[in-house]
Amino acid sequence: MTDTAQTDQPQQSPGSAALEIVELKKSFGANRVLHGVSLSIRAGELVGLMGPNGAGKSTLVKILDGVYAADSGEIRIAGERVASLADRADVGFIHQDLGLIDTFSVAENLRLGEPKVRLAGPILAHSRERELAKEALDRVSLDLDPRTIVGELSPGEKTLVGIARALQHGAQILIIDEATSTLSPRDAGRLLDTLRTLTNEGAAVVMISHKLSEILDATNRIVVLIDGEITTDEPRAGLNLSDLAQRLLQQDEVATEKSGRESAVGAALLTLEGVRSGQCGPLDLDLHSGEVIGVTGLAGSGLHDLAYLAAGVLEPEAGRVVLADRTQRSFVPPHRETQGGFSLLSVRENMTISALSRWREKGLLRLGKEGRDALGMIDRVAVAPPDPNYLFGALSGGNKQKVIFGRVMFTDAKVFVLCEPTRGVDVKTRRELYGIIARLRDEGAGVLVVTSDVEDLSAVCDRVGVIRGGQLGSLRPLEAIQPSELEELV
Amino acid sequence: MNTVVSAPTETPEAPRQRSRLATLRDSPTFERCLSPFAFLLIFCGYALWTGDTFVSIPGRTLDIHLSVPILVLGLSVLVTLACGEFDLSIGSMATLTTFFAVGLRVESGWSFWLVLAVCIAMGIVGGLVNGWLVVKVRVNAFIATLGTGGVMLGLSNVYGGGTTINPSPDGPQLPGWFSGQNSLGDFAAKAPSWLVWISLAAIGAWIAVALVRARPARFSQQTWYAIAAGICVVAVVVLFTFVDITEWVDQMSWLIAVLAILAAICWVLMNLTTFGRHLYATGSNADAARLAGVPVSRQTIKAFVLGGVLAAISGILLASSQGSAAQGAATGYLLPAFAAAFLSTVIFSRGQFRVWGTIFGGIFLVWVNQGLAGAGVPFTWSQVINGAVLILAVSMATVLRPRKN
Repeated sequence: MTDTAQTDQPQQSPGSAALEIVELKKSFGANRVLHGVSLSIRAGELVGLMGPNGAGKSTLVKILDGVYAADSGEIRIAGERVASLADRADVGFIHQDLGLIDTFSVAENLRLGEPKVRLAGPILAHSRERELAKEALDRVSLDLDPRTIVGELSPGEKTLVGIARALQHGAQILIIDEATSTLSPRDAGRLLDTLRTLTNEGAAVVMISHKLSEILDATNRIVVLIDGEITTDEPRAGLNLSDLAQRLLQQDEVATEKSGRESAVGAALLTLEGVRSGQCGPLDLDLHSGEVIGVTGLAGSGLHDLAYLAAGVLEPEAGRVVLADRTQRSFVPPHRETQGGFSLLSVRENMTISALSRWREKGLLRLGKEGRDALGMIDRVAVAPPDPNYLFGALSGGNKQKVIFGRVMFTDAKVFVLCEPTRGVDVKTRRELYGIIARLRDEGAGVLVVTSDVEDLSAVCDRVGVIRGGQLGSLRPLEAIQPSELEELV
Repeated sequence: MNTVVSAPTETPEAPRQRSRLATLRDSPTFERCLSPFAFLLIFCGYALWTGDTFVSIPGRTLDIHLSVPILVLGLSVLVTLACGEFDLSIGSMATLTTFFAVGLRVESGWSFWLVLAVCIAMGIVGGLVNGWLVVKVRVNAFIATLGTGGVMLGLSNVYGGGTTINPSPDGPQLPGWFSGQNSLGDFAAKAPSWLVWISLAAIGAWIAVALVRARPARFSQQTWYAIAAGICVVAVVVLFTFVDITEWVDQMSWLIAVLAILAAICWVLMNLTTFGRHLYATGSNADAARLAGVPVSRQTIKAFVLGGVLAAISGILLASSQGSAAQGAATGYLLPAFAAAFLSTVIFSRGQFRVWGTIFGGIFLVWVNQGLAGAGVPFTWSQVINGAVLILAVSMATVLRPRKN
């Protein structure tokens, strides 16, 4: 990434704000997510919005995008009050999911939702369409044949096509939501260059990212959101890397569940020896009885692959994953909504599915015993409501996660692979889950926590490693890790 | 049961006011009661409309007797639907086994037990082929079973030479217990009433125990006993007066008894075994099931095999009640079988395919048709009605089901 960005300060007229958010508040039940967020963004500004997981960034974006309605507060565009920014031609949202159709060409994707360019009657003028597409691609400096099929593009090129489409609709305000997190550094650099050019031409851009270096490199103003409040809103020029890291890390004290003792670590339960899969590896790791290992990294760095490999869901292409004799392992998958549970089945059935032989006598399941045990587990992991026959799909996200924890605890596993265990759960549930992890460890299990949330590491992990570009660094106690190693991950 | 304390004190996401109607609508009890209630409504409606022609117990049991092959086919559909797959070949499978059950006996003169074994084996092989295509070759189940169904139907035509197979008077006959006068397939052959009574008593006791156990938290133990006892007494009185249960019991044919046994076996398999639980889990979310350690592929193949065997049995039962094999004998049963299985997602269930729901759903469909026929609607309308009732019932359930989020 180049350093030229800082010199490109906005030279546009500092007139009224392009986008203004006034005292936006939002609660989900008793959980207050946004406590009055105010932000005003002018044309020609490139604003970086940062904050830890659960700080309310995605809620804010969803309110802007019209997915949620704010409890109170206003959104204004050029001084005019609007309900949301959804379906406005002058605002473009660039999410990780770009909404492009992979099997269509670039030109066809760019024409979607645009007035048809007709040759005669229902027949479309393809050459004219391609010319228009070419013009749109030029604005994002993407040199592509418009006939290219979108599925063949790199993730970064796709993102640029998404931006080109927003610009073609007439977008003056762009909201870029975590669009760089899955891109290669080269693609990300291209994207940031384009964004800088666009702001210099008078667009207003809000860029949400976890990567400190990118934000520092590209933006000219930085906003930090923590626990639903804006704690920092300063020009880029006044901040350096350690300042920013400091501001991001100041958050609520979290009850840590670290064992006071260092001695109880027992025999190795799970060993990864030079394991490779895809772009990931070689990975080496020893998980012992009575310890919690935390591994973190960026999404796309092979982080989740490590979890799949350790859980035995993914077969390694090389190397070995060795499980100690007579040891079972159990897995909490990263995507709760799609991989976690069975929404049409009851809480009981969701909890017991991995360990049904416990309740099987003479080939038949003892439903009564199963129900009683499920109730006991519901009690242990504190699922609300405490009803084994409650429909899993009707539970809240945090409770779903607790049910899945209950499921893995019913197995006779000694090795637990927990992937993103606290993703999208509230603070209270988070603490309860940390408590459960600590109890598993104290009972002699080996727990591997694979997470993109640094808070998990400080809360419950004994040894911590960082995975970067498919390589796993050495495992050390959290205190031994330099903040600079974690900075990219905050 | 004793540790259930009353309602949760702090659910984080439910402080908003809800109308009483919405609370009622969202309660599982209401959902489970709704469809049986609709059932009752239809019955009463017909009774009022057409009078005696509909409320004839022998007539209605005859309807069930005649639709036993459809209902067994419904069970077959249910098994594959429960694990999230489709099997469109079952109608052809049933036709195929009808042909072989009749043909191998009356034309080739095989021992009838051997014939039955061959027919069941066909069901197993058909199911294995379907399962293999869907799970291993990863052909879309819709296409795979449409294809195998075509092959099976074609084979039945090839075997039958394009015509109906009838036993010739001087050749080997189907066994007397299987087909013909006073045999399994004959409505006049009634199951012994003591057997039916014992089964009913067992089911009744089981329901009563389940009722006692399902005590809502707001009732004390004693109050709930009293309420449950009251419900049981009312139910017994209703059964013996309005429903005239003794008359129904007297009319139970052997074929219906076979259906009840098959349904009971299916119920045990689907609800009391690891296999059944794995199927429901797979059908609900195959990805999650795999990650939770369910052997998804193996169980899916088993489901296709079980479905194939049930379809084969359906064909055999059809041969029993018809005594011959007509071209495409069971192909018309595919829609009502699917309709019955889908109705089960509305009857006694929260969106799951259930065994008893399938049986009752199928009977419901047949009665709706018969009622209309009794009221003078030509029988040619039955398929129109089948389709319409299915859409109506399932869309009603979708509209009434509590919204998530």
